[in-house]
Amino acid sequence: MVILGTFAFEEDFLAAARNLTASGFDNISLLSPLPLDEAQEVLGLGKSSPVRHFTLAGAIFGGIAGFAMAVATSLVFILPTGGRAIITIPPFLIITYEMTILFGVLFTLMGFHFVSGLPAWTDKPYLSSAGTDKFVVVVEGAAGAQVARAETIIRDAGAEEVRLEEDKQ
Amino acid sequence: MSTIAEKLRAYSKPGYYDEFDYHWTMTIDLDRCTGCEACVVACQAENNLPIVGEERFAQKREIKWIRIERYWEGEYPNIKMGFIPMLCQQCDDAPCETACPVYATYHNQDGLNTQIYNRCIGTRTCAVYCPYEVRYFNWFTYTWDEPLEQQLNPDVTVREKGVMEKCTFCIQRIRIAKDNAKDDDRRRVRDGEVVPACVQSCPTEALVFGDSNDPDAKVSKLMQDERGYKVLEELGTTPSIVYLTKVHS
Amino acid sequence: MSQEENKSLFDHGQPTYAEVNEDILSVMLETGPKYWMLLGTMASIAGIFFFMPWFYQLIVGVGAAGMNRNAVWGSYLSNFIFWIGLSHSGTLLSAVLHITNSPWRKAIYRSAEAMTLFSLMTAALFVMVHLGRVWYVHWSFPIPNQMGLWPNFRSPLMFDVMAITTYLTASSIFIYMGSVPDFAAVRDASTGLRRRLYTIFSFGWRGTAREWHTLGWAYTFFAVLVIPLAVSVHSIVSWDFALSAVPGFHHTIFAPYFVCGAIYSGTAGIVTVMYCLRKFLGFERYIGQVHLDSLGKLLITLSLIWSYINVLELFSTWYGGTSFELEALSFRLTGFYAPAYWEMILFCAFVPMLMLTKKIRWSWNKMLVISILINIGMLTERFVIVATSQPRKFLPGAFGYYVPSWIEISITIGSFAIFATLFLIFIKWVPAISLYEVKETLKPLRRDA
Repeated sequence: MVILGTFAFEEDFLAAARNLTASGFDNISLLSPLPLDEAQEVLGLGKSSPVRHFTLAGAIFGGIAGFAMAVATSLVFILPTGGRAIITIPPFLIITYEMTILFGVLFTLMGFHFVSGLPAWTDKPYLSSAGTDKFVVVVEGAAGAQVARAETIIRDAGAEEVRLEEDKQ
Repeated sequence: MSTIAEKLRAYSKPGYYDEFDYHWTMTIDLDRCTGCEACVVACQAENNLPIVGEERFAQKREIKWIRIERYWEGEYPNIKMGFIPMLCQQCDDAPCETACPVYATYHNQDGLNTQIYNRCIGTRTCAVYCPYEVRYFNWFTYTWDEPLEQQLNPDVTVREKGVMEKCTFCIQRIRIAKDNAKDDDRRRVRDGEVVPACVQSCPTEALVFGDSNDPDAKVSKLMQDERGYKVLEELGTTPSIVYLTKVHS
Repeated sequence: MSQEENKSLFDHGQPTYAEVNEDILSVMLETGPKYWMLLGTMASIAGIFFFMPWFYQLIVGVGAAGMNRNAVWGSYLSNFIFWIGLSHSGTLLSAVLHITNSPWRKAIYRSAEAMTLFSLMTAALFVMVHLGRVWYVHWSFPIPNQMGLWPNFRSPLMFDVMAITTYLTASSIFIYMGSVPDFAAVRDASTGLRRRLYTIFSFGWRGTAREWHTLGWAYTFFAVLVIPLAVSVHSIVSWDFALSAVPGFHHTIFAPYFVCGAIYSGTAGIVTVMYCLRKFLGFERYIGQVHLDSLGKLLITLSLIWSYINVLELFSTWYGGTSFELEALSFRLTGFYAPAYWEMILFCAFVPMLMLTKKIRWSWNKMLVISILINIGMLTERFVIVATSQPRKFLPGAFGYYVPSWIEISITIGSFAIFATLFLIFIKWVPAISLYEVKETLKPLRRDA
C-alpha cells in the first residue's frame, strides 16, 4: 500500500516526515514544489552529493583527453607553423582547459541522471498538487498494521487529505 | 607508430626550424629597382593571377602577389622617390602560419611558407596577421574571357572564390628544378637553375634568387652586403628576403 | 534573506504559489493571434534580411560584402563578437549570482540564460557567413576523416572553436537542467500531446527531496564550471585579435577588455529583454523596481570599468609612442571612422552615467532607451576595433579603409530578427520565469505566516 498525505503548511509536512522516520518508516518520499533544506535534512541527505565524484572524474578525463588530443593530432602529420614547436604548451593548455570544462559538465549531467534515478521509467506515486502549492508525504511499501500507523501519524500532523493507493510494482 | 617516434626525434633536434634542405632566399637591390613593374606582370602571367577588373581594383580588391610600393618626398622637380617591391617574405617565424585553423599554410622543409589552396576555408586570419599585407583573397571566382584562358600556366592551379593566395616563390619552378636534379644523379639544385618569374623578368637584375644554404650562391654573397636589411625585422618574423638599401648621394 | 527584503522584490504584493503557476504557465498554454503575427513577422524579417542575402553571398562569393585588401575582416566578425558578448549576460546572472545567493536574480535568470543560448547560436551563424568556403567548415573540427588531417590546435581560431562548442553545450545543459522542475509543472497543467511531450522533457520529475538535493548540487557544479568557461570564452575570442602583431590589436588588455565589454552589453541586453517580458507577457508582478535598480547599478559599475579600460588603452598607446601604434590610434580617433568612435564613447561611457540618478534608474522607459543605446554603442565598438586597426598595420603603401556594403547591413538587421524569433519560440516552450525559484522568494507556507 502507498499512503499519500497532502499538507498545506510546511511545518506540518516536516513534522509528519520526522515522526514517520522516527517510527521506523524508511521508504518515504517528500514531494514539494520548491527545494526545502529541512526536508533534505530529515532524510539525512547531508551537505554533499555523490554527483561531485562524477564532476571530478569528468574534469580529470577531459583534461587528459584534451591535452592528448592536441598532442596526438599534432604528431600524426607534423606540419610546422611559424617557427613554433610542434608540441607547444600555452595553446595546448587552452585546449586542455576547455575540454576539462566540457567533460566536467557532461559527466555532471551523467551523474545527475545516475544519482537521481531520472528519467523515471516506471510510474511512481505522485499528486500534481505537489508541483503547485502543496506538500505531499508518500509512504511506500507499508503492509498490514503499518498502514494504519502511518495514516495516524500523517493525520495527527495536520494533513489536509490522505489517500491510499495500491502498490504499482 | 615508429614513424611518429622517428619524426618526433627528428623534429626535437635543435635547429629543426632553422635548418632547411634548401633555404630559398631572394635579395632585392633597391638601388637597381626602377619601378617598371615587369615583375608584377610576369608574376601575373606565370601564376594564373586573376584579372580582377577595373571596378574591383578601385574597390581595393586587386590580387598582386608582388606589388611595387612607391614612397616619395618633396615636390616636383625635387622629388625623391623610392620603389620597394613587396612580396611574401616567406618568414621563418611567420605570424600567418600559426593563425590558420586548418593548416592551410605551413612551413615546408625548403624554408617556404606554403599555401595549400584545397585546404583553405577562407577565415582570412592569415591576411590579418601578416604585417606586410602580402596575402590576397579571392573575393569572387574570377574568370578569364576568351582567348585569355589559353594563356594560363598548366603547372599552376586556378583558385576558386574563398581561397587565400600569395607569392610562392614560383614553387612550381622549384619543383621542376628539383625533379630534374633528382633525375640527374640525385645532385642538388644548382644556383641559377631556379628562376621565379619576377626574377626572370627584371630588366635591371634587381631581384636575385637562390639557395642561401649554398655558400657559393649569388644570394648568399649578396646577403652579406652591408647595405642589406630586412623589412619590419623588429617584429621578429625573420623574413627570407633581404633588401639592399638605395645608395643616396 | 529577510522577509522584508524579499517582499520588496514584488511591487504589487506577493502572489500565492498557485498564482505563480497560473501566471507564468498561462504564457505557454494560451496563445493568441498577436503572437503568431509577431512570430511570423520576425521569421520573415530573418529570412529576407539574413538568409536571402547570405544565400546570394554563397553563390557570388564573400566579395558581395564590403571587405577589401585593407580590411579582410569586417562587420561579420565584429557582429560575431557582439553576439558572443551578449551571451555573457545569462552566465553572469545565472551562475555568478547563484553562487552569491542573490535574491533578485531569481525571477530573471531563466530568460537571461535563454538569451545566452540564442546569442551563441546567432554568433555561430555569423562565423558561417564570414567564412570564404563555409562548406568546408567541418574541417575546423577534430573529426576523424579520410584525409588523415586534423585542425591546427595552435591557432587562436581553434581555441575559439573549442571554447564556443563547450560554451554552447554547457549553456544548453545548464538551462535545460534548471528547467526540469518547471517542465514537470507544465506537464501537470496540460493535456494531450503537450502532456506527453513534457513528461518526456521533465524525465518524470516528482519533486522529491532526493531529486531536489541532487538537482541543487548538479546545478551548483554547473554554475561553478560555467563561470570560468564564460570568462575564458570571451578572452579567447579577444585573442583572435590580440595574438596578432597588428598595432591596435596586439594589447594585453584585450582579454579583460572584451570580457568586461561582454558582461556590459549582456546586462544591457537583459534590461531590454526584461522590458519586453513585462510589457508583452504581463510579468509586472514578478519583475519589479528592485530588479531594474540592481541591473542599473550593475550597468553603472560595468560602464565605469569599460571607460577605465578604454582610457588605459589610449594612455598606454600614447605614452609608449611607437610610430605604428600612434598611427593606429590617430586613425581611430580622427580618421575615417572617427564619428563611429566618438559615438561609441558617447553611448557607452557618458550616457550610462545618467543612471546615477534614482529617477532614471527606476523608470522602465528611460532604462530601455539607455540599454538600447548601450548596445548600439557596443556594436559600434566591436566594429571600430575590427575596422580601424587593419587598415593601419605597418606599411603605409597598404593603408586604406573599408565601407560595409548593403549585404552586411541587411545581415546585421536580420540577425536581431533571428534572435527575436528564437526567443519567441522559447517563451512558448519553456516557462520564461523559473517557477520554483520565484516560490523560494515568496513567504513560506507556514501556519503563522
